[in-house]
Amino acid sequence: MASSLAAPNQGPTDDIALADLLDRLLGTGIVLDGDIIISLAGVDLVQVRLRALISSVRAGDAVGGERGPA
Amino acid sequence: MDRPSILTRLESEPESIERDLMKLVLTIIELIRQLMEKQALRRLDGGDLGDDQVEALGLGLKRLEQAMDELKERYALTATDLELDLGPLGSLLRDDWLGEAAQTGEITMADVDDLSGPG
Amino acid sequence: MADLGRYLYAISRGLAESQVASMTGLRDAPLEVVRHRELGAVVSNVELTEFGEEGLRRNLEDLRWLEEVARKHDDVVHAVAALGPTAPLRLATICTDDDAVRRRLDESYAALVSVLDRVEGRLEWSVKLIVPATVRASSPAQSSDSTESGAAYLMRKKREDHERASRSAHVAALAGSVHGQLSEASVASRRLPAQDARLTGFEGDMVLNGAYLVEADDATQFEARVSALQSEHPDCQVSVSGPWPPYSFAMLEQ
Repeated sequence: MASSLAAPNQGPTDDIALADLLDRLLGTGIVLDGDIIISLAGVDLVQVRLRALISSVRAGDAVGGERGPA
Repeated sequence: MDRPSILTRLESEPESIERDLMKLVLTIIELIRQLMEKQALRRLDGGDLGDDQVEALGLGLKRLEQAMDELKERYALTATDLELDLGPLGSLLRDDWLGEAAQTGEITMADVDDLSGPG
Repeated sequence: MADLGRYLYAISRGLAESQVASMTGLRDAPLEVVRHRELGAVVSNVELTEFGEEGLRRNLEDLRWLEEVARKHDDVVHAVAALGPTAPLRLATICTDDDAVRRRLDESYAALVSVLDRVEGRLEWSVKLIVPATVRASSPAQSSDSTESGAAYLMRKKREDHERASRSAHVAALAGSVHGQLSEASVASRRLPAQDARLTGFEGDMVLNGAYLVEADDATQFEARVSALQSEHPDCQVSVSGPWPPYSFAMLEQ
């Protein structure tokens, strides 16, 4: 089957935004109340620092991870 | 690759630690304040409050809101900063659409019989 | 020698090891396929110091690690999904060895076949609806002044509450309507939790975070439908992304 997938990680405009990726790969919506709670099957809750996430998201993704309708 | 330890942060960023702590405290206070206002409005609707009680309740809540506004301004915190995601309890405070939008929905198949894939 | 585990990225149907022979996964380890009947789990070796329970507990708190691993995992899923029907797995699904992998494939065989049937020939689109933030903010011009009586304050709060509620109802109906229309234009759909603006940088309130499974051949039509929706709602932002591998329609509760 010919690939018609958007090529991954070829630059900011083609990336899946990190928030979208984590939503899907971690199987949970990202909850913001000062910290992010991540729960994986079989692994205890861990906490991720919000500030670090925002800076890494802004640096790498911004809203440019999306593209508008063709 | 190391993140600064909490001790390092205390030495180098005392103001931001204080602000972080205030943010936590004010978030809880704001939660209680909003719950109190909601409850007051319910009592008002219930019609079992005398005029004096309504006036006293309203003044108390108004002063509480003013005090919160002053504290927020002092620490440069916005209403958004103080929002607390309560998970399943979130609907206590927030508008209903947020509650619904906060849930992960089930997969809805448009045509349940059509699982045969491409022809 | 370090203890190794098998990191699973996705499960495919009809995939031959030769097809992934030149590809690498996390930490440049070669990709391999562990077969069970017609299913194949795409795996690579990982060190348990990094990906075992203790290691994960530590590393999942490191955003840079998380992003790096998520992106690599996604790269592999993309590559494999281009080769045939694929069910992506969540981050950090680790098995001790190939026998354990095959046991998992066997245990979930029926569910996996069902998922693969559902996603074959189809791709995922993400469509989000963002409304201006003023929709739910109360007017700052109406903040309390010292002459307002207690009773008047309460009446004002009551009025603002009522206005907020009716705006909410309107916004919820809008989101539902958009989701409904896009669902009709797709094979399957799903609402995901709204993302916080502080994380995404969108200005306004996300009222719909929808995932839509669309036949690969219908991509252009679907995009046109989204464009039409944007024109119908010029005051809102309709954000579309894709096509992606069918993450939201193939995730298994492992």
